[in-house]
Amino acid sequence: MTSMRSEREPSPLAAAGSATEADHEVTLEDLLARSARGDERAFAALYDRTASRVYGMVHRVVRDAAQSAEVTQDIYLEIWRTAARFDATKSAVLPYLLMVAHRRAVDRVRSAQASVVRDDKYERLHEERPFDSVAETVQSRLDGQRVRKVLDGLTEAQREAISLAYFGGYTHSEVAELLALPLGTVKTRIRDGLIRMRDALGVTA
Amino acid sequence: MSHDLNLLAGAYALDALSPEEREQFQAHLAECPECTDEVRGMQRTAAELSQITAVEPPPQLREDVLRGISQVRPLPPVVDNVIALRRAKLSRSVWQGLAAACLVLAVAAGGWGYTQHRNASRASSANPVAAAVSSLANQPNADLVVSSTALSHGSGTVIWAKQEHKVVLIGRDMPALPAGKTYQLWMLPETGKAVSAGVFQPDAAGNVAYQTDGDLSGYVKMGVSVEPAGGSAQPTPSTVQLLNI
Repeated sequence: MTSMRSEREPSPLAAAGSATEADHEVTLEDLLARSARGDERAFAALYDRTASRVYGMVHRVVRDAAQSAEVTQDIYLEIWRTAARFDATKSAVLPYLLMVAHRRAVDRVRSAQASVVRDDKYERLHEERPFDSVAETVQSRLDGQRVRKVLDGLTEAQREAISLAYFGGYTHSEVAELLALPLGTVKTRIRDGLIRMRDALGVTA
Repeated sequence: MSHDLNLLAGAYALDALSPEEREQFQAHLAECPECTDEVRGMQRTAAELSQITAVEPPPQLREDVLRGISQVRPLPPVVDNVIALRRAKLSRSVWQGLAAACLVLAVAAGGWGYTQHRNASRASSANPVAAAVSSLANQPNADLVVSSTALSHGSGTVIWAKQEHKVVLIGRDMPALPAGKTYQLWMLPETGKAVSAGVFQPDAAGNVAYQTDGDLSGYVKMGVSVEPAGGSAQPTPSTVQLLNI
């Protein structure tokens, strides 16, 4: 099981060619392309290399373990089914996978918990700072720590807006309401914060 | 580069836009290479956030996923149709024009949605749905929202003419139903009850071309369910498949 591996992209190893699933020089893009042709072993390898990231994020948004597993399973089935329609010119696999996953997770909390959203919002805002609780779960992870450090380097205002949007699964309008800020301010905080993170992490387009 | 929509790049990358805003921003992306680059970098950055929450999933999940995929055939690639046009980096107006032209061609050829499945034996005049889509597509200002979704069998494309309050469902490879059963189309709000958009049946080849009056404003998805002939007041939950809009 290698799912704890980081999939920082672009990987310096990403260029190499064919190999077995155990060989991490195979890119996620290769694995997805092979999955599109029905290669279940390639998909298993894709799962192993991404599942901790996907499941962890889904679990953070959805919270309930059983539902998180269900949503994660749906996500991977959708990725499998639509593998041939993935457009590598638009996005790398991992950001795409996480985007699909985030959307599914948010769909789930919205449809399942619509009636308790208000209370939940209140609770999250006043009793549990999303970032603080997130931080507790990652002490031991090098990559997590690295990203966390970068998130820490943001202004508190930027960090709060980004955490509520991503880990809380709120829209930017909801974030604005939660923080009693104008929408424009939230847009700016999210964007400026992400730019700062991008530059600090050395992420390239 | 600094314009209003550009400010949405961050929220888009974090998946923090409402469906309407997302659609608007995606349309803008097609016209704005700078935004496209910026979004790509931000999506990678957003993906990094998941390092923080990474956690080992339950072992059972891997088994479930792998058992699940062994029972599902991956969809074929999209070769030549409205989706391909939409994916191309064309301006919204251009792709809309092309999509409209493509529809007209498809309609004229009698083959729905997928031009590689042309079937010249049906004339558009014989098909009221074809005629309706054709007339929508011919209006230069028609504001069409096109969205395709893979179903467990086949696929469904929803075309929504916003101004005209028309909804067209183009289905492909949809299984025939047993006697006494029908497909029913639904408009699904974020919360609350589904609203029926009528019943339909695929033709012998599994193609669907179904048109109805409807305004999808305020709805987040459409759904297809299997119901007793004549349709139901609310969808049978176990049969519902969601369609993006």
